[in-house]
Amino acid sequence: MTEDKTSHPVFADDNPINFSMVLASAVHDMKNSLGMLLHSLDGLRDEHQDTLSGSARFNTLQYEAERLHSDLVQLLGIYRLDEKTLSAHSEEHFVPDFLSQHLSRYRPLLEGHEVNYRIEADDIQGFFDEDLLTGVLNNTINNAIRYTKSQILITASQREQYLVIGVEDDGDGYPEQMRRADTLSFKSLNFDTGSTSLGLFFASSVAHLHQDGSRRGFIKLHNEGKLGGGVFEIWLP
Amino acid sequence: MTDTQLPAGGPEFHKLSYLIVDDFENFRLSMRHMLRSFGVTKAEVVSNGTAAVQMCTYDQFDVVLCDYNLGEGKNGQHVLEELRHKKLLKRTSLFLLVTAETSKEMVMGAREYQPDAYLTKPINRAMLEKRLGALIAQRNALLPINREIDRENLPEAASLCLQAIPRQPRYKSWLLKTLADLYFQMGDFSHARKIYDDVLAQRDLSWARLGRSRVLLAEQQLEESVAELRTLIESHPDFLEAYDLLADALTRQGKLGQAQQTLETAAELSPNALLRQRSLATIATTTQDIERATEAWRRTVQLGTHSIHDNVEHYLALGRSLSDISEVNIDEGWKDQASEALNLLAKMEKRFPEAPDVTAKSLLIQARVHAGQGQMPAANKALAEAHASVDADSVSAQLGLELAKTLFRMKRGPEAEKLLNKLAERFSDDTEVLQNIEALLDEPVGFKQKLQARALNREGIKAFESGDLEAAVKVFEKALAIVPAHAALNLNLVQVHMKQLAEGARDPQLVARSRRRLDALANLPEQHRQYRRYETLRKKLDAMKND
Repeated sequence: MTEDKTSHPVFADDNPINFSMVLASAVHDMKNSLGMLLHSLDGLRDEHQDTLSGSARFNTLQYEAERLHSDLVQLLGIYRLDEKTLSAHSEEHFVPDFLSQHLSRYRPLLEGHEVNYRIEADDIQGFFDEDLLTGVLNNTINNAIRYTKSQILITASQREQYLVIGVEDDGDGYPEQMRRADTLSFKSLNFDTGSTSLGLFFASSVAHLHQDGSRRGFIKLHNEGKLGGGVFEIWLP
Repeated sequence: MTDTQLPAGGPEFHKLSYLIVDDFENFRLSMRHMLRSFGVTKAEVVSNGTAAVQMCTYDQFDVVLCDYNLGEGKNGQHVLEELRHKKLLKRTSLFLLVTAETSKEMVMGAREYQPDAYLTKPINRAMLEKRLGALIAQRNALLPINREIDRENLPEAASLCLQAIPRQPRYKSWLLKTLADLYFQMGDFSHARKIYDDVLAQRDLSWARLGRSRVLLAEQQLEESVAELRTLIESHPDFLEAYDLLADALTRQGKLGQAQQTLETAAELSPNALLRQRSLATIATTTQDIERATEAWRRTVQLGTHSIHDNVEHYLALGRSLSDISEVNIDEGWKDQASEALNLLAKMEKRFPEAPDVTAKSLLIQARVHAGQGQMPAANKALAEAHASVDADSVSAQLGLELAKTLFRMKRGPEAEKLLNKLAERFSDDTEVLQNIEALLDEPVGFKQKLQARALNREGIKAFESGDLEAAVKVFEKALAIVPAHAALNLNLVQVHMKQLAEGARDPQLVARSRRRLDALANLPEQHRQYRRYETLRKKLDAMKND
């Protein structure tokens, strides 16, 4: 479990410092440390079910750790995107299985926050890269937990020849300037406001990596969901 | 609308037996705790890879949950490889690799052995339950097929796959992949190809593209296979198996330089796969890219420390490379390489005491290393000791060649030639051995001179092609001063002389000189690749004399 330095590529060149490589290595280590932390938190929650489950502070602790973890995973993904070593290896998956497996990891946290959650997925097969989509959903669910009042809905359906996976909440919804249905470019990231939309950039990049013939994936943000709050949708060809 | 509903037959967690492998007690206990909360009664725990392999030797487990990073010693990938290699793990069992990595292939990068699934940390109870449930349901659904594969009954497994495809839409991907692979293994390439083509007609999926390329390669359609793999790598630069296959295809086309480049790229992306490093080292040795070869052999040896693929040949190859490179490298570092070679050989003798002729082979390489450093007493002593244990009538080809190479290096050419002749007789059916003998007879000199002679040979051919015959003669003669017995070089020179004569040169020396060159090859064995050319040129020359 101690992070083995040789388990990820280490480039021992005499070249001047490659800062993004150094950063990526550091991020990698931090991500693994957080993994340990999260594991311990899960253990603690299991052992002290009665006292901890309702503790707002404990839930915040776990939520923030989850958020950091998923941010770091995304950072690594963006690093690989930059290195041109990230691509989508699509396989056919049974969508309801994938979603329910995915959501199960969030069960303790959702219950701790007293957020109701359900999946409304058609019995469909879909083509996508499991690992990449997991990264996107982690971030989206984290966001939904943050902005929702009481419930989260995960949906999946076939629309216009696309597989559409949606995450809805009953919060205040996306502000006008964020609603969109296109690909985000790196330039559109706003580093001044504190909210960098890094997650959206990553999601958009992952969607774009999914391709069928000339059709590519994209994301949509709107407020027209069943729960009245924000709706995140990833459309995959 | 589906949520928790599982396929018929459902997972029966508690009836299965589990093995948990993790170096952290904390994780072992919490994993076992989770399993027990699902009703599992049989769950063993071990803290390292060696213990895991031992455990599986005496006991069958249905599910192995193994952490990738196990601290010192074997890692999870090593455990998987060893279990599969020793057939301690049935296809019907599940091996789950637990990892903190999100880009798995980049880290493990093994092409031979894949786990049944990766579990990405952090893992909690709810997630483990769901994930195990799905995997065990899949295991149950596919059990009849895997059982036939375990029994090596491939046709039956294939027909079960065919039956299952319409009935098990949930596992369609797995079924199609497995079926295509079964056809491939049975040598039924057209059926395998049909599956890939059908999948690709529906959608461009990387696994099907790779499978199709593999079929093309097996059907000897090299160019098409190479083109397809190049496209695949362009769209999926992280698809390491595609690089391996491309290198394979390029090697078969004889394009070793490109094959080497392909493997270098893959090895940079994923430096921890022993087999890939070994392929790279082998190709670089053939292309005489001695620096790359040394580096890749070094890495192969390192990665072998805890691996089932560790082999005495890797040590020998690295020893040879180091001894060669320490000869070329006169300016700096050669002392380091020489001592690295000696340390390595000592380590090899301890690690592989039972390997055939290991001491003698080691001594011979040591002798060359000492000779390279100018330490002739030490070199002679090592050679004498090794020589004493060799009987030319029974020695293995490999040891015989090693001895001949060393004898040449120590300027005892006649002895070496005698030994090689004997070997050529004894191994007259073995083309690989014969080729090695030829190579040694042609170029019995050190690595550095060999490179010089080759460069000169290329230069001479160029001059010949451009019509500058005088220059060609000079260059070939220079090369022959280094390797006087080189068959092809001698014949090249004779051919230049013939052309000079044909163009009307009046130098009476030309015929005589050509004659001397051909006489030098009088003992060329009939199996030699240059023998026919030698015969043709000799007849031509005889005809000229009679004119």
